[in-house]
Amino acid sequence: MVKARHQQPLARPSFKTRFRAYVRDHVRVLLFSLGKLYRTPFATTFTLLMIAVALALPACLYVLLNNLQTVTHKWDDVGQISLFLQTDTSEPALKQLKATITKHEQVENVNYISADLALSEFKNRSEFSDLLEGLPINPLPPTLVVTPINSAKQSDTLNKLKKEFQSLANVEQVQLDMQWLQRLQAITDIIRRAITAIGIMLGLSVLLVVGNSIRLDIENRRAEIEVTKLIGATDRFIRRPFLYGGMWFGLLGGILALLLVFIVLLVIRQPAQDLVGLYNSDFKLMLPSFIQSISLIGSSIFLGLFGSWLAVGHRIAKIQPS
Amino acid sequence: MIELQNVTKRYPGNREALTHLNLTIEQGEMAFLTGPSGAGKSTLLKLIAAIERPTRGQVFINRKNITRIPKRKVPALRRHMGVVFQDHHLLHDRNVFDNVSLPLQIAGFAQVDINRRVRAALDKVALLDKEQMMPITLSGGEQQRVGIARAVVHKPAILLADEPTGNLDPELSAEIMRLFNDFNQVGVTVLIASHDLDLIERMSKRIIRLRAGECIDSQSPLDAQNFEIHN
Ligand SMILES: Nc1ncnc2c1ncn2[C@@H]1O[C@H](COP(=O)(O)OP(=O)(O)OP(=O)(O)O)[C@@H](O)[C@H]1O
Ligand SMILES: [Mg+2]
Repeated sequence: MVKARHQQPLARPSFKTRFRAYVRDHVRVLLFSLGKLYRTPFATTFTLLMIAVALALPACLYVLLNNLQTVTHKWDDVGQISLFLQTDTSEPALKQLKATITKHEQVENVNYISADLALSEFKNRSEFSDLLEGLPINPLPPTLVVTPINSAKQSDTLNKLKKEFQSLANVEQVQLDMQWLQRLQAITDIIRRAITAIGIMLGLSVLLVVGNSIRLDIENRRAEIEVTKLIGATDRFIRRPFLYGGMWFGLLGGILALLLVFIVLLVIRQPAQDLVGLYNSDFKLMLPSFIQSISLIGSSIFLGLFGSWLAVGHRIAKIQPS
Repeated sequence: MIELQNVTKRYPGNREALTHLNLTIEQGEMAFLTGPSGAGKSTLLKLIAAIERPTRGQVFINRKNITRIPKRKVPALRRHMGVVFQDHHLLHDRNVFDNVSLPLQIAGFAQVDINRRVRAALDKVALLDKEQMMPITLSGGEQQRVGIARAVVHKPAILLADEPTGNLDPELSAEIMRLFNDFNQVGVTVLIASHDLDLIERMSKRIIRLRAGECIDSQSPLDAQNFEIHN
């Protein structure tokens, strides 16, 4: 029997073709894994909501903390520096000094309190006014009250300013009222740490949520994975849709989380402004900045990818056709 | 093309599924593998596809020793083969075209080549008009043909089939066997495990009979004809 014409074996595609196919496969899998989520709307919505809530909570707290800090920094008497001058400071020297300090880039404004003014204020407030009445000379020094700009209201910076001012001519003594500032800093520090801890725990829970749904997906597709292995698929090829699945969870969950953050902040915006307005008239609740929004979504994508990577682990290598 | 030298396979906690088996299948040959249930037919095919490793002995594919082939080289080996299963193992979340194109996607072919090859394979199994359908909407025989198209779309040198006609009526079974014969005609080495003695005897090809892990008979087509005459 004479054999019919033999088929030519398919030539292995060139490197360039295979590279193009590789890129094409990535795009295909990207869309395919999105479609997969779409086809299981209930499970997908559930997972996305869990991710969104877990991320929105620390994000909201973080934004509120930032707002708190700007509010406290706006309180003028926080972080003020008092410069007690020598009593014999001449008028021109005083003007000169005030001008120098006003020009300093970390100074918001400078207020001059003359010795006489200081004395009369003191008299008004003090029970010892009679006692002061009998004094032959005014014992109080003239004072410059310096309000630093908001960003300089930190103990390091203020201490540096204090040293600078101390070296100026005619300055007898510099006093820094740091107690309030230190208290505030301690409080915000505690809150910041608490938020970070909450964020880490909820970030871990996102890893678990994503990891678990990817793990279930792998279990459900065990037969499919076996078949594709029989056709000659590499582990990397099989892993790809699961990693992209985790990426989508992260991206969509992150967007949803951002949405939740905005909703929560817009809901509390007016009452918060009303409340703070009692103390500080021009307060506006800050919403997350563009950078902050992008970082929220970015970390969500990272958590999604990492969670699915952990879930995929060696699980796919272990599944073998039988 | 396929050579087994003194192969023994023992599954953990079981008796030997194959015992000191020697077998050579030449390039371009078509052979049937038959024998009672538990004889070791599936095991033999699994050794060839590197799904299982032999306990003793050597397995050669195309003169390459695959007995201890490392895991990372298995995908490349399998791309030279096509495998057809009894329950066709189609992926139900994608249509016929995407199922058949899978081996080409995996191997990284250009989209134009994929389109051309998939259509050629579907044409061969007479399913060209069903390429957009989902597997679940096809009949059993059609699903089996999709499985066959997927197994041959990348023009493998070896085609393995385990009970490919197990669930089909006699007419469809004969049609599937003719398809395998066609592939063999263009040079593909074909090895088919089957219970269906009537059918495979009519094909007048080599028949390898296993019983309890041993090869008890290996008839060439000529012997097969004699066998028919004597009975
Ligand atoms: N994964 C396994 N683990 C343990 N024993 C197995 C395994 N696979 C097969 N066996 C045993 O090996 C022997 C041969 O099995 P095999 O599946 O190769 O037979 P077969 O000829 O294909 O049978 P059938 O016609 O029923 O498909 C049987 O005794 C079976 O119990
Ligand atoms: Mg079997």
